[in-house]
Amino acid sequence: MENKELLKKQVEELAKRVNGEVEESLGTLVLKVKASYIIETLKAAKNFGETPCDFLHDLAGVDIGDHFEVVYQLSSLRGPQKLRVKAIVDRETPIIDSATSIWGGANFLEREAYDMFGIQFKGHPNLKRIYLWDDFEGFPMRKDYVAEPVEVRNVVRVRREDE
Amino acid sequence: MSVDRTEELLLNMGPQHPSMHGVFRMVVHLEGEVVTKIEPKLGYLHRGIEKLAESRTYPQFIPYTDRLDYLASPHNNFAYVLAVEKLMGIQVPERGEYLRIIFAELARIASHMVFIASAALDIAGWTAWGYAFRDRERILDLFEMTAGSRLTVNAMRIGGMIKEPPAEFWPALKSFLDDLPEMFEEYYGIYLGNEITMGRLKNVGILTKEMAENLSITGPVLRASGVNYDVRKAEPYSIYDRFDFEVPVLYGCDSYDRNLIRLDEMKESAKILRQALRDIPEGPIMAKVPKLIKPPAGEVYHRVENPKGELGFYIVSDGTTKPVRMRIRTGTFINLQTLTEICTGWKIQDVVAIFATLDAVLGEVDK
Repeated sequence: MENKELLKKQVEELAKRVNGEVEESLGTLVLKVKASYIIETLKAAKNFGETPCDFLHDLAGVDIGDHFEVVYQLSSLRGPQKLRVKAIVDRETPIIDSATSIWGGANFLEREAYDMFGIQFKGHPNLKRIYLWDDFEGFPMRKDYVAEPVEVRNVVRVRREDE
Repeated sequence: MSVDRTEELLLNMGPQHPSMHGVFRMVVHLEGEVVTKIEPKLGYLHRGIEKLAESRTYPQFIPYTDRLDYLASPHNNFAYVLAVEKLMGIQVPERGEYLRIIFAELARIASHMVFIASAALDIAGWTAWGYAFRDRERILDLFEMTAGSRLTVNAMRIGGMIKEPPAEFWPALKSFLDDLPEMFEEYYGIYLGNEITMGRLKNVGILTKEMAENLSITGPVLRASGVNYDVRKAEPYSIYDRFDFEVPVLYGCDSYDRNLIRLDEMKESAKILRQALRDIPEGPIMAKVPKLIKPPAGEVYHRVENPKGELGFYIVSDGTTKPVRMRIRTGTFINLQTLTEICTGWKIQDVVAIFATLDAVLGEVDK
């Protein structure tokens, strides 16, 4: 339990610096921040003195309705600490800084979030669709996405020159 | 001194290529025969499982999880039902827990057998392929006896297991466990201890500890790079804290160690299975769950140690029968990020061998 208290102290201190909110959900600490603070938050979480959350376990977009969230699941290979960081992203202009400068592992995950939600990750080295084809229109995991009828969906895809 | 350079050559491997383990495509940039860059192209098997989850009820989604890592489907069921149970606060009966462990560890052995078979095949070891697939058949028979299907087993339910295994399951499992040590010796003798295998794989495709941590690598690939981390030990779920087993760690960081670690993990799984078989109590296999599964509003993240990496489910619920968001964190999708780093500087035949050691299953990569 000691580890958890140490982590909680660190997270609360950090929350004050980045105007975040701390919650607890089924035993996991959740830190909610605005998108503009995300790099500062993640860097600080990576360097928490005795309880560093230095392993990017997962990164995913979530459509909440009036805004998007980018959810980072942080953990560590050296201890039991876990932290969930949520960045609030504006729905109209979904832009957030890329975490690829902190963890190389964010590369594919951010591409997936871009592919499915259209969240732009500023500073990503190769922000292209990862699953869907490049001329796909719309972002299918958004709640307001309307799937097209089958006749429209079955278009023949034209190969691009650089493929 | 002038250096001769050749024109860069682009080579498309896949999606229909015998060594791609499914419909995976990579664009290999070559200089002569040496790889300078690899671009993985995903999405040929993308079915939008995360999107489908939003229009299915919680129990309806269990068969979809089978189609993620289809070589170890009980594990995917396991991760999903654990996440929902954590959200709802359901306690599974003892016998149900033991049966889940038995299925999960059998699936781990089956998955690693396929790994040994396909990795051997990728460096032209046809004989080892036959041995490993022959033995995996016995595990699939055990699944078939209980759940009726062999590959997409769909064995677990929210609150327990689908069915009690039939009477002939137990002697069959026991005789399988008795034969396992001999099988491991065969795999070692014919594949891993083979001089050609060692020549092809030793010191090929180095993935250092620092690289692995930075790239969020999990599972056997991480442990073959010298990191002692296994969710079953670090954050024991279900009843894994009751079993006595080791986490194999190797420090070679090369393709050979990524092969060898699978053999070691199978041995540990066999240990767990023997203990589970010894300790399994009598009793019910299903908890009392409501007819209509309606988790309370909230969110949960649960991860398990899949044979190929960590599998995590992040479920956001709004208190209705369908989830708002179902995020699936799959191991091999993220592990594939290393491909370009560990293949650079090697030749095409090494790329095939290195790719095999990442043990990618496209159902899991493309979701």
